[in-house]
Amino acid sequence: MELYRPSTALDAANALGNGSVALAGGTELVPLLRDGLVRAERLVHLADAVPRGVDGTRIGAGTTLAELEVDPQIPAALREACRLAASPQLRAMGTIGGNLLQATRCWYWRLDFPCRLHGGDTCHARQGVHREHAIFGNDFCASAHPSDPAAALVALGATLITDRRELPVLDLYRLPTEDDRELTTLEPGELILELDVPAPEASVYLKAMDRQRWSFPIVGVAAARFADGVRLALSGVAPIPWPLDSEEALDAATPLPGTAYKVELAQALVRRALAAV
Amino acid sequence: MARLIKTEKEVEGRYEETWVVVEEDVLDQWPAGPLEVVGRDAERIDGLERARGEALYTADLKLPGMLHAAVLRSPYARAHVKRIDLEPALAAPGVRAVAGPGDVHVLTDSPGYPGQAVAAVAAETFHQAREAVKLIDVEWDVLEPLLDPEEAIARGELVEEPRRYERGDLERGLAEADVVVEAEYRTQTLLHNSMETHQSICRWHGDGKLDVYISTQFIWGVRDSVASQLGLNPDDVRVVCEFMGGGFGSKNGPGDYTYIGAELAKRSGRPVKCALTRREENTATGNRNATIQRLVAGAKADGTLTALGGDYVNAVGWAGFSPMTGGPMQYLYACDNVRVVEHGAKLNTPPNAAFRAPGFVEGTFGLECILDELAAKLGVDPLELRRLNYADDDADGRSYSSKNLAECYRLAEPHWARRDDVHARSEGQWKRGIGLASQVWFGGGGPPSYAWVRIGADGRATVVTAMQDIGTGSRTAMAQIAAEELGLPLDRVDVVLGDSARGPYASISAGSSTIPSMGPAVRSAAADAGRQLLEIAAQRYDKEQRVLSLKGGNVVSQDGGSWPLAGLCELLGDGQILGSGARGPNPTGMRILTFGVQVAEVAVDVETGEVRVERVAAIHDVGRIVNPLGARSQVEGGIVQAIGHTLSEDRLIDPQTGIVLTQTLDAYRMPTIADVPEIVAEFVDEPDKHLTNLGSKGLGEPPIIPTAAAIANAIRDATGADVRSVPVTREEMLRALREARVGAIPA
Amino acid sequence: MLELSINGGAYESRAEVGKTLLEVLRDELGLTGTKLACGEGHCGACTVLLDGAPALSCITLAHTVGTRDVTTIEGLRDHPLVGAFVRADALQCGFCTPGQIVSAVALVEANPSPSRDEIRHRMAGNICRCGAYPRIEEAILAWRG
Repeated sequence: MELYRPSTALDAANALGNGSVALAGGTELVPLLRDGLVRAERLVHLADAVPRGVDGTRIGAGTTLAELEVDPQIPAALREACRLAASPQLRAMGTIGGNLLQATRCWYWRLDFPCRLHGGDTCHARQGVHREHAIFGNDFCASAHPSDPAAALVALGATLITDRRELPVLDLYRLPTEDDRELTTLEPGELILELDVPAPEASVYLKAMDRQRWSFPIVGVAAARFADGVRLALSGVAPIPWPLDSEEALDAATPLPGTAYKVELAQALVRRALAAV
Repeated sequence: MARLIKTEKEVEGRYEETWVVVEEDVLDQWPAGPLEVVGRDAERIDGLERARGEALYTADLKLPGMLHAAVLRSPYARAHVKRIDLEPALAAPGVRAVAGPGDVHVLTDSPGYPGQAVAAVAAETFHQAREAVKLIDVEWDVLEPLLDPEEAIARGELVEEPRRYERGDLERGLAEADVVVEAEYRTQTLLHNSMETHQSICRWHGDGKLDVYISTQFIWGVRDSVASQLGLNPDDVRVVCEFMGGGFGSKNGPGDYTYIGAELAKRSGRPVKCALTRREENTATGNRNATIQRLVAGAKADGTLTALGGDYVNAVGWAGFSPMTGGPMQYLYACDNVRVVEHGAKLNTPPNAAFRAPGFVEGTFGLECILDELAAKLGVDPLELRRLNYADDDADGRSYSSKNLAECYRLAEPHWARRDDVHARSEGQWKRGIGLASQVWFGGGGPPSYAWVRIGADGRATVVTAMQDIGTGSRTAMAQIAAEELGLPLDRVDVVLGDSARGPYASISAGSSTIPSMGPAVRSAAADAGRQLLEIAAQRYDKEQRVLSLKGGNVVSQDGGSWPLAGLCELLGDGQILGSGARGPNPTGMRILTFGVQVAEVAVDVETGEVRVERVAAIHDVGRIVNPLGARSQVEGGIVQAIGHTLSEDRLIDPQTGIVLTQTLDAYRMPTIADVPEIVAEFVDEPDKHLTNLGSKGLGEPPIIPTAAAIANAIRDATGADVRSVPVTREEMLRALREARVGAIPA
Repeated sequence: MLELSINGGAYESRAEVGKTLLEVLRDELGLTGTKLACGEGHCGACTVLLDGAPALSCITLAHTVGTRDVTTIEGLRDHPLVGAFVRADALQCGFCTPGQIVSAVALVEANPSPSRDEIRHRMAGNICRCGAYPRIEEAILAWRG
C-alpha cells in the first residue's frame, strides 16, 4: 500500500479512483481496511487538500467534530450532534466530511456476513438480531445510519459543496436497491470540500443512546426552525439520515419486531424537539 | 507445626472436602482498636509504576527470538473438519510453525462453538501469522447448532447433573402462605472484557523445562494444569505474571492460547507469544452465562417467608460449569421451605467462565426482585421484610464464623430514609425511586498459601511470595500487613511476587480469596521475622525478649527504652533475617460468608425509557478492612461493572448461526465515566474472630452482587413497572412501562 | 524513511504504509506504556497526543502523522496528573491508566479547572473495566495537588 498526500483538492481528486481511496481522519477507513471491508492500493491523505475551519456559514470538510462541538458560529443542532457523537478521541480525529460518509454499525455488515450491502441476497438483520436497526426504508436493508451530524445537517437544510457540484446534504444519500447497493450519490473520485449551513432561528438535537456518552444513536432527532417552518431529520432509524415531515409521519414507520420500541422513542423525542424549537 | 486435616475448600461457592497439610495458626488476631498501617488508607505501592506506563504486563514482554501466534477459529457453531490443508500457511512469509486439529488437545476438528480453536500459526510478526491463518484451506461439514437453552434442557443436553438443594417442603410452605408471588426473571450473557486480552508467552529450555509468561489470576494453577497436560513435573513449568490487566474470573487457567503457544514454541524452537485479539476475547475466553429463573415466593401476612422456590436454567455453552444461581436463595434468608434446582444447558455457544461471583450475581437479581414484589403485595417495607426473615443461623446447621448483616441494614437506614426526598425530586417525565438488595457470598479463602519475609541490614522488609496482583491492590495490602506486624512504616516494605520460581505457593486470586488466603500467611511470615529481630534485640540491648516489641520503626521496651530498628539491622551486615509463614486452617464446621446491602436511587424518563442510576450506597461486611482506600475502590469498581450489567451490556448472538455479534467494544457497551453515579461505600469493619490471624474476608465480588436488583427495585419504586430482565434497555423499559400502564387501568 | 517527532525526540522508522502509530511505538521503539486493548479505536487505551489533541494510535496510520508532535505516556511521566492518579487511587489493574492520563492531560491543558460534567464528557472515550471512574474524576479535579 502507498500513501499520497496531495496539497490541493484538484490533485486529490485526480488521484482518486483505480484503487486509490480518500483518507481523512481515518477513524472509519483504517479499521475497515484492516478488516478487509474496504480495499485500497493507495491512500490519498486529504489533510492538506480539503479546507478546514469555520467561516460564517461555511464549514471546511476537514474540520474535526471536536472543533465543531465548541464553535459558537455553528447552529446548536449541529454543535450538539457533534458533541454527542462518538468519543473525545474520535471527535478529535474525525472530520465532518468523513462523518457524513461513515458506514452503518450493523453488526452483520461489520462482521462481513454476505448481506445485501456486501452484494449478497439477504438482509441478515431482518431475520436476526436487529434491535438497533431501521424503522424506515428498511425493506431491502435494515441497517441504521449512525451519523448524528448528518441528521442535524439535513434538518438544517445544509448544502454540500464537492469538487464538482453543490447539492443538499439530503441528496447525498440514497436507499440501496437491488441494482445499486450504494448508500450515497457521491460519484467515483468526487471529493467533499465544504458545507454551507444556513443559520436557523432555533435548532436542537436530541439523542437516545445506551450509555450517557460514546454510543451511536438508537434514535437521534434534529429539529431546526426557519422562517418558513420547522424541519426534522432523524438518525439511527433508516439506512440513511431520514427527513421527517411531522410527528404524524412516524405513523408510516415500518418497524421490525425488534425495533417497534424505536417508534415510541422517536415520537417522544420528536415531540420534545418540536417543543424546544 | 504442620498437621494433616480434613477441611473444606471453597472457590467461588464450590465446596470440596479434602485432606490438607496445614500449619497451625498460632498468632492471635491483633488487639481491638486502631492499628498503625492496617485499616488506614494506603496508596498503591505499585501505583506510580502502573500510572507512568512502566509496569510490564505480559502484553509488553518481548523475548529474544519471539514469534507471534494467530489462531484459526471455527466460523461455525457446530461443524466438522472434513479436510484441512495447513501447507499454504506453512509456506507463507515469516511462518515458522503450524499446528492443526489433534496436534495439541485444544485444537479440534469438531468445533462445538463459533470461535473454538482449530489450527494455529507462529510467524515472525503477528500480521504474518494472521495472514497465514487465512491461507489454511478447510473443507467444513456444517452441522445444525443447538442454541436454545430450554430446548437443550428438554433434550437432556447438560454440562453436568442438575444441582438440587432442598430444605423443608416447598409445597407445604406455599400452602401455608397468605401471599404468593411467581415470576420469571432473565439475565443476559456478559463478557469479561479485561483490558489486557488473554495471552501468554511460552519458551522451552533445552532441558525440557518450560517458561510461561501469562496474564493470569492463578500462577500455581497454570503451573499445575500445564505440567499435568504436557506430562511435565510441576516444577519444570515456571509461571510468571508480575503485572496483569484484569481477569474478573476469566483468567483462572492456562487457556487454549497457552497450549497453542507451547506447541508452536516446541515446533519452532523459538519462544511464542499467543495474544488474543479483542474479538477472540469476546468469543473464546468465557462469559457470564445467561439465565432463566422461574421463582416462587410465599409469605404469611406478617411478612414471614414460608416458601422460596427456584428453577434455574444456566445457558452454559459448549463447556464450562453450571454456577450456583440458586445460592442466594439457599443462603440469604431464614425460610423453612426452600427448593432450588439448577440446570446447566449445553449449547453450541462459547463456554462460560467464572465471572465475579458467578451464579450469585444472576441469582440475587431474581431473588431480591421477587422479594420486593412480595413486599409490595404484603404492604411491608422492603427493608423490614428482609429484617423479618433474617437468618441468625445457617439453615444447614452450621454457625456463621461471623455475620454482621444486621449492622449493614442499620447503616443502610439513613440511605433508605432518603426515600421521600428522592420521590419528591421526580419532575415531569423524570420519575425517581429508590430500591435495595442484600448480598451473600463466600470469600473466606483457605489454605494452603505461604509467604517469606526477608529483612536485611538496610532495615527494609521484603515480602516474597509467588502470588499475583490482578489489579485489586494485593501487593499493597500484603505490604500493609507485613508493615503492621513489623512495626515498620509502609514505605519500608517491598513485595516481590509474580514468579513461581521465586517464591512459595500462593492462592488463586479468585473467589474473593486473595486477602483472606494470603494475608494471614504474610502476617505469619512477618511475625516469624519479627520474633527473630527481637531475639537479636534482646541480646544487643540486654533485655528480656518478652518485654520487647516492634513499633514505629523502633524496638520498644516495656520499661521505656526505644532503639531504631535500622540501627539494630545494621548489625546484620550481609546477614538476613528470614521469616516464613503459612495460612492456617479455616474454622471447622463453620459457614464463612460475606454480607452486604446496597441502596440504589434511579431516575427514569418514562417517555423515552432512559434509566439513570443517580446514587448507590453500599454497605458490606467482609471482616477486617486492610486498606480502606483500596476497599472503596473495589466497591466502586464492582458497582460500575454491575451498572453495565444492568443497563447496557449484552452479548448477542445471531439466532441462526450462533455467531457472536457484539465482538467489538462499540457494540458491547461497558460503562464509561459518564455513566457513573455517586457511590457511597461503607464497611462494618469488624474482624471475623474465628477466621485466621487476620479476621479478613474478601471483597472482590460482594459489591457486584446486589446492584442489579437494587436498581430494578428502584425502577419499580419510581415507575410501578416491573423490569424482570436485564439489561434494562430502552426496549425493556418501555415494555415494562406499557405493561404497568395497562395493569394500572381499573377493571 | 518515516520521520516522527515523539516526546521531543526525532525518530526514524522503516515501517511500511499501513502500520499504525501504535505498532511503531510499541514494536519498533519499545514505548510500551501506550497499550493495545481493542485495536479498533473503541477503548482509548492507546491514546496519545498529536499536537496536543488526543488520538487513538491503534487506528492512526504512522505515515499520516506527518510533522505533528507525538506525546505518549513516556513523555508525561512527570506530569502532575500521574501523582494525582496515584493519590486518588484512580487505577486498579492499570492497563487503561496511561491512556486515561494522556486523555486527562489533553483535558487539563485545554481547561485547567474542568467541571465534573466536562471531565465526564472529555474522558468518556477511555474505558476502565475495573471501574476506577469515580477516582479518576477525583484525580482530575485535584490534579494540581
